[in-house]
Amino acid sequence: MRTMSPLSRTLGIVFLLALPLPIFIVFGASFNGSAYIQFPPESYSLRWYIEAFTDPRWARAVGTSLWIAAVTSVVVTTISFMAAYFTLRYAPRINTMLELAIFSPLFFPHACMGVAAVALMAKLGIVGTPGAIILAHVIVTVPFSYRPVHVALRSVDPDLIRAAEVMGASELRALKDIILPICRSGILTSLLFTGIISFDEVTVTMFLIGPEITTLPVQIFTFIQDDASPVLAAISTISVIITFLAIVLLERVAGLTFFVQRSGS
Amino acid sequence: MNSGERLTFSKSLMLLPMLIILAMFFISVFTLFSSAFVDRGGFSLKYFQQIIDRPDYHIVFYRTVLSSITVAILAVLFSYPIALLLWRANKWRNLLLIVVLVPWLVSLVVRTYGWIVLLGPKGFINAFLGWLGVIDEPVKLMFNDTGIIIGLTHVLVPFAVISILSSLLSIEENLEEASRVLGASGFQTFRNIVLPLSLPGVFTALMVLYLASVGAIVTPLLLGGITEKFVGSQIYQEVMATYNMSKAAAWSICLLSLSFVSLVIIKMIERRALRGQE
Repeated sequence: MRTMSPLSRTLGIVFLLALPLPIFIVFGASFNGSAYIQFPPESYSLRWYIEAFTDPRWARAVGTSLWIAAVTSVVVTTISFMAAYFTLRYAPRINTMLELAIFSPLFFPHACMGVAAVALMAKLGIVGTPGAIILAHVIVTVPFSYRPVHVALRSVDPDLIRAAEVMGASELRALKDIILPICRSGILTSLLFTGIISFDEVTVTMFLIGPEITTLPVQIFTFIQDDASPVLAAISTISVIITFLAIVLLERVAGLTFFVQRSGS
Repeated sequence: MNSGERLTFSKSLMLLPMLIILAMFFISVFTLFSSAFVDRGGFSLKYFQQIIDRPDYHIVFYRTVLSSITVAILAVLFSYPIALLLWRANKWRNLLLIVVLVPWLVSLVVRTYGWIVLLGPKGFINAFLGWLGVIDEPVKLMFNDTGIIIGLTHVLVPFAVISILSSLLSIEENLEEASRVLGASGFQTFRNIVLPLSLPGVFTALMVLYLASVGAIVTPLLLGGITEKFVGSQIYQEVMATYNMSKAAAWSICLLSLSFVSLVIIKMIERRALRGQE
């Protein structure tokens, strides 16, 4: 039944394979022995990886990006879970309004988000601190966290909670033993998805860095503008591997169906 | 979990962190407006005047809008066959989905760097063509509109695939079967059933892609250079090079109004296209 004409199948395969192509080119260039990209390469070496690992600036940027991603994902998932739990259980009527507010940043062009964020952080006097970057990342990732968490919570059968309470479980006990396990995959999706977005965010973050702190994508951006040394290819490959591992982990622990669900259903 | 139980004050504190984050967002938008419209303590349109008076800035807006329309349409055209492929590939869908998701979630700056390595004057394509002996001088593939459009399209295709695939997956299998049983060819079924029912996903993609493209900074800055500016690259310069926050805010508000008007237009086209459905 499910057939596809050879033409559209071929187009689909060709276009699909073109998607990771630039990433593979970067991967290939990272093993290039010379100071710029050559075809065919004259030599192969690991010198750019050695440079990436020995230059403390890169190690620090990777570290910063990882811990900011971890803090952002935990904070934003907790905030979303509390809000979704409260709304579904105690105030279902405000849900439409709340969702409207939560999803409104999605209709904001990223460049405007960046300027708005730097304007706010400058008022608060925190530009160039980890706090500013984390706050901005939480604002940017809230819609991506609220949806999976809300969908998971909505699927919990209210009778189960009522049963637990009839049997004498406190609200906290019901939350811990019934609701959280059922919502596990939604929570994990939120944690990993927002972590990945935070780890790779650049457009808003680049306005908020300072002499004390920078993230990996922003530092790659700065280096591309200064000089495009092949060390960037090695660093980019490392960043791709981290993102790739996070996606594979997401597929293992929660599945990828979340990404292709219609929001309405 | 819908039960709507009795509300107590201490329980409503659970909503507080979310409200603080949302308030932060709306305060930041408010700050954006106040820094654009206020000069020396009073209301002023000075910064907007500075933008409107410069004909070269008008070109920046035209370039941003025209390139973004091109990018959104190209990305949808490229992603439709990919979405169809994933839709048909029941068994392999998860694996193929990873091939789409990885390029989507890998940092923008890394994907753009990939295009610099490919398109740059000392890049892969030029080195390859030189090796073949086709060219003597490097061909200019980036630092122009072409480079920006190639880069942005590639960056945005994965999202379009996901949006269109979601629409395709919500089509009931019976519909297709019915069409085939009644004697429609594969193409007729596609033309009359699949394509119309996937249009909501196509329009969501067009809208989000257009927004992402007009608001892009990194890709236009790195692939367009300093001569071929996007609104995003101009905003970046105002903040990071000339430290003119008020002017950057004025640019942002122009961009915001522009995208709002465009969204309304896209919505109107969508309504026309979907007329008769449901």
